Amino acid sequence: MVMSEMETGLDRARAIYQDRTRRARELKAEGKQVIGYFDIYPVLEMLTALDLVPYRILGDMNEPITKADACLPTVVCPFIRSVMDLGLKGRYDFLDGVVMAHGCEVAEKTAHIWRTYLNPAYAHFIDTPHTTHTAALEQHKELLKDFKKTLEAFAGKELTLEKLRQAIEVHNEQRLLVRELYDLRKPDPPLISGTETLQVLVALASLPVTEGNELLRQVIRQAHERRDGPRIQPARLLLWGSIIDNTAIIDLIESLGANVVMDDTSLGSRAYFPLVEQTGDPLDGLANRYLVALKSPRTFRETVLTKTKRKDYLADLENRFSYLKDYAQEWKVNGVILEVLRYCDIHGYEVPGLKDYLDHIDLPSIYLEHDYSQAALAQLRTRVQAFLEVIG
Amino acid sequence: MAYFMGIDIGSGTSKGVVTRDGEVLAYHLLPSGANYRAAAEKLRAELLAKAKLSSQDIAYTVATGQGSASVPYSDGQVTDIRCCARGISKIFPSARTVIDVQAQSSQVIRLGERGQVVNFVVSEKCAAGSGRFLEVIANVLQVELEDIGPLSLKSKRPVAFTTGCAVFGESEAISRVAEGNAKEDILAGVHQALADKISTLVERVGLEKDCTISGGGALDIGLVRSIEEKLSLKLLVPPQPQLVTALGAAIMAEEMAA
Repeated sequence: MVMSEMETGLDRARAIYQDRTRRARELKAEGKQVIGYFDIYPVLEMLTALDLVPYRILGDMNEPITKADACLPTVVCPFIRSVMDLGLKGRYDFLDGVVMAHGCEVAEKTAHIWRTYLNPAYAHFIDTPHTTHTAALEQHKELLKDFKKTLEAFAGKELTLEKLRQAIEVHNEQRLLVRELYDLRKPDPPLISGTETLQVLVALASLPVTEGNELLRQVIRQAHERRDGPRIQPARLLLWGSIIDNTAIIDLIESLGANVVMDDTSLGSRAYFPLVEQTGDPLDGLANRYLVALKSPRTFRETVLTKTKRKDYLADLENRFSYLKDYAQEWKVNGVILEVLRYCDIHGYEVPGLKDYLDHIDLPSIYLEHDYSQAALAQLRTRVQAFLEVIG
Repeated sequence: MAYFMGIDIGSGTSKGVVTRDGEVLAYHLLPSGANYRAAAEKLRAELLAKAKLSSQDIAYTVATGQGSASVPYSDGQVTDIRCCARGISKIFPSARTVIDVQAQSSQVIRLGERGQVVNFVVSEKCAAGSGRFLEVIANVLQVELEDIGPLSLKSKRPVAFTTGCAVFGESEAISRVAEGNAKEDILAGVHQALADKISTLVERVGLEKDCTISGGGALDIGLVRSIEEKLSLKLLVPPQPQLVTALGAAIMAEEMAA
C-alpha cells in the first residue's frame, strides 16, 4: 500500500489538497496515463472509459506570476495567468496530455498557447458552443465525436459504448455523492465546514473517479460520526463566483463568524450537480449535460418572453437565477457573497442582474473582487466583516 | 465616572477620541507613519494627557481602521464602516447616506433610521477615488494640501481628466502643467474626476437624503463642492470630519461595555 492510501476521509482530503500531484505521480509510476483538463467542459467520462486519469489543472494563489506575463496579457483573468505560469514552471510536467475547452475567450487562447509553449504529447481542444440552441447542441455532439477519435488514437484502443456507459455511471455516482456531501451542510451547525468541503472538492479534482467516490463515502461517514464539527454561527452564506481553489478566502469568511454552507462556483456544485442522462447513444446524454444542463454564465440562455411576447426583466432574472433561490431556501442561507476574479468578464457581466435578483428576493449580498493572490485578501476582510454586521 | 476611548488607525492619520456619557472630552490626531503600534501607543498617551486621565480610567476601548489589529490596549475591534455610521448618526441624526473619503479608499454607507448600516460600497483596490489621488496631484503641482480646496474654487475652466487612475493621473497632471494650464484649473479637474468616481459609488448604494461627507477628503472644500454639484444636493459636513469614525468607535465602546 502506498503512503497516500493510509489516510482516510477528511485527513486524506486535506493531504491531497496540500499536495495535489502526489497521487497522480504515484499513478504515473504504476503506468497510468494522466490527462490534465481545464474548467468544467471537457467530458471526463471519455477519459475514464479509456482508463486515462483526469486531473484538473488549477492555479496557485501563493505562487507569484512571473513567467506567464511573457505569453499572456496582464489584463486577463489572474487564475488563468497563474495556471499558465505553473505550466511554464514545469508544475504540470507529469501530465501525458491535456484537454481544454472554450470555457471563455481567455481559456480558449490559453489552450492554444499551452499547446505551443508546452507541446504535450496529446492536446485536444473542444470548441464548446456558447448557446443552447438545437443547432449548438448538434454541433456539440459532433465536437465530442472528434474528441473521442483523437483520444482513441492517443490511447491506442477503441472507446466502446459499453465502457462509456459504465464511465457515465461511475461519474454520476460521484455527482450524487457530492450532493450527499452538500447535504451535510444543510443542518445548523453544518456537519462539514466550507473549508473542509473545498479540500474535498480539490481532492476530487486530483483523483481518479473511483478513488474520489471512495473518499466521498469516507468523508460523509466521518462527518456524521464526529462530534467536533463546525459550530453554529450567525451567518449562513452562499458563495457565488468563478473559481475558488484555495481555502484562504473561505477561511477568512468563516473566521469572521459565518459558515459557508453552499456555493455556486466552478469547482463546487456547478461542476457536479447536473447528472448525465443515459441515452441510447451516450453521446446525446453527454452533449446535453455538458452544454445545456451545466449552468454557467459563460453559456447564453435565451431571454424568456412573456405572453405578450415582450421581454420582461424580472422573468428573465427568474429564469436565470431561480436555482439560487432554491439553494438559499434548502440550505437556509441568509447572505450571498458574489466573488469575482478581476478581469473575469463573464462573471462580471452577470453581477448587476444577479444583484437585482437577490435584492428582489430580499437576500442580502456583497460583491467582492480580488486578483487571485493571498496578499490581496486582507483588504476583503473589512468588507466581509461589515457585511456580516449588516446581515447579523 | 466611566470614560471610553475610540481609536481609528488609518493608513495616513491616526485619530482618537475620549468620551464620557456620549460627549467628547478629548481628541487627538497624529500621522500613522510606518509603525501602527507605536502610533497607537502615542495616540493613547496624548489623549490621556489631554483628558487628564490615566489608562485605568478608561472602561472600554474600541479600535477601528486599517491598523485596528495593531492597537495592543483595545478591548474590541469594529469595522470602520460601522464606526463611521455610528459617529455620523451622533452628529447628524437625519443622515441616511455617508460619503467617507479616506486616504486609501472611499466608501459610501447607507444608514437606517436608527443609524445602523443597511448597505455600503467600498472603492476597489484603486486610489483614484481617494485622498491619495489628491496628495499625488498636490505634490506634482507643489501645492500644500490645505490650499487645494480654496485654490480650486478660483478655477474658471476646469481641465478634463481622461483617466480615473491615480498613477496615470499623475502623468496626466504633468502633461497639463506642460500645456500651460493654471494650477487651479488642474485641481478643479481632479476634483471633478474624484466626484465622478465617488458619485458612481453613491449610485451603487442608492442615494437617500440627508447626505453627509466624512474623512480627510471632507476637509477639501473644492472636493465637497464638486460632489455637491455632481449629486445636485447640499452635503452636511461635520466640523471635524476626520474624527467621525473615532467618535463612532468611542460610542461603540460605550455600547459594548454595557
